[in-house]
Amino acid sequence: VTTRCFRDERASNIRQIIALSISASLVIFVANRSAAADNDRGAQLAATCASCHRLDGRDKGIPSIIGLDEETLTRAMQAFKSGERSSQIMHVMSLSLSNDEIVTLARYLSTLRVEGKRP
Amino acid sequence: MKSWTRRKFGSFAGATCLLGLVPWVAKGQAAARVVVIGGGVGGSTVAKYLAASATRIEVTLIEPKPRYTTCFFSNLYLAGLRSLESLTHGYETLAQRYGVNVIHDSVTAIDPAGKTVVLERGTKLPYDRVVLAPGIAFKYGTIEGYDEVATQIMPHAWIAGPQTELLRRQLESMEDGGVFVLVAPPDPFRCPPAPYERASLIAYYFKQYKPRAKILILDAKDSFFGQDLFQDGWNRHYPGMIEWLPRQFTGGIQAVDVRRRLVKTAGDTFKADVANVIPAQEAGQLAQDAGLVDQSGWCPIDPMTFESKLQPGIHIIGDAAKAGNMAKSAFASNSQAKVCAFAILAALIGSERFAPHLFNTCFTFLASDDAVTSVISYRAEPETIRISDIFISKVGENAETRRKAVREADGWYAAFTHDVFG
Repeated sequence: VTTRCFRDERASNIRQIIALSISASLVIFVANRSAAADNDRGAQLAATCASCHRLDGRDKGIPSIIGLDEETLTRAMQAFKSGERSSQIMHVMSLSLSNDEIVTLARYLSTLRVEGKRP
Repeated sequence: MKSWTRRKFGSFAGATCLLGLVPWVAKGQAAARVVVIGGGVGGSTVAKYLAASATRIEVTLIEPKPRYTTCFFSNLYLAGLRSLESLTHGYETLAQRYGVNVIHDSVTAIDPAGKTVVLERGTKLPYDRVVLAPGIAFKYGTIEGYDEVATQIMPHAWIAGPQTELLRRQLESMEDGGVFVLVAPPDPFRCPPAPYERASLIAYYFKQYKPRAKILILDAKDSFFGQDLFQDGWNRHYPGMIEWLPRQFTGGIQAVDVRRRLVKTAGDTFKADVANVIPAQEAGQLAQDAGLVDQSGWCPIDPMTFESKLQPGIHIIGDAAKAGNMAKSAFASNSQAKVCAFAILAALIGSERFAPHLFNTCFTFLASDDAVTSVISYRAEPETIRISDIFISKVGENAETRRKAVREADGWYAAFTHDVFG
């Protein structure tokens, strides 16, 4: 858990506070933990999407999943899961995700931008 | 990490110790070192995801070849539908964008006791973790007369590159009315639908240029993946051209006479104008040399991490791994590589672990405008990997569905190779 902050460049301020004060770090970790872990869980789930969908916004043959908001993505995955939207591949993929994972994944994907740097 | 000084790091390490969490880096060591051996789909994916996910891991990828040609889609090259160049990928993006240290050399030994990988040119690379993605080796000798020398006359074309080009040249030189014999391997082998896709796409080529040619599949098995789909496709696209002979009919493939281009089964001898012999397979040689293989010929692994059950600190992914019910395929290797990368990150830098997700998706061509799909999700259990859900295209789907799968397949190839090689 702690190393999440350690290797997150955007969390450098938090790192310095940790270094100065153990008690302060405890408070901040509790606050920061779930957001960072959620982001990492989202990134790991999104890695499975990247086997078919390019995460840089290109969409030849297979639709892009970049540039959509969280709600649209959640609704789409739930629709594939229930069979309301037809795609056998997406049905099997979304069936493997819990509802909680779908929300985490949609939140993560909604933060990606065209030509984003994550794989 | 660039502004992170040693003093701050020491304070941070102290804090983490007091919190009762001691990740690897908190022990005050330099960046963790992961050596990935094999630059195919599994190896390249794991190198990329490790390098992209953490700045405090040095990732080295060892691969003798300067470029990699994908086995998947190489049947389209045999059909004349794609160039081999379009299936060939370099390692520049992995090196330049992701900072993977790519070394073009061969590994001569892995020393688990000294935690060192030794390269042919003499370099010794210390490691904290090794990921081995050695692919397959052929069990020469299971068919009498078929050895490495024989592959120059009767190619296997099951590792893409010169072998695939050789088979294409032989098919181009074959007279109309000739017989192409394809020897299909016993389970388990790389990419279960691929021998039958190969027969389909070579039939597609013959139908245009050598319509009197015949294809004979001599199978070591009595059934194969997607059999009803293939046989339906053969009847619709290439009536009378492809004959499939199962083991129960031939008694099994026993020998080849390379010079006379003969394939001998228990009861018959078949004369080929072109013969493609795909032998029985096992884990790549390096896995065998490193003592990572059990009596099955494949590498037993922990399904949650892909760490070897025989040598701690060494992970095996891809075709060489004994991954329960997972097919041996590029997609499965890519999926395993990600699970493996995240498990290594958890072990080395203490990142949080989440439930692994494993998949296999496959686009298979019956003709240039007719592709079928299969998708499987898997569940990693402590001792094995089981199928959770599975979908396979069905006989009788309309032509537009199959054409759509062709378009998706093209898009998938572009996206997938981007995911693997950057």
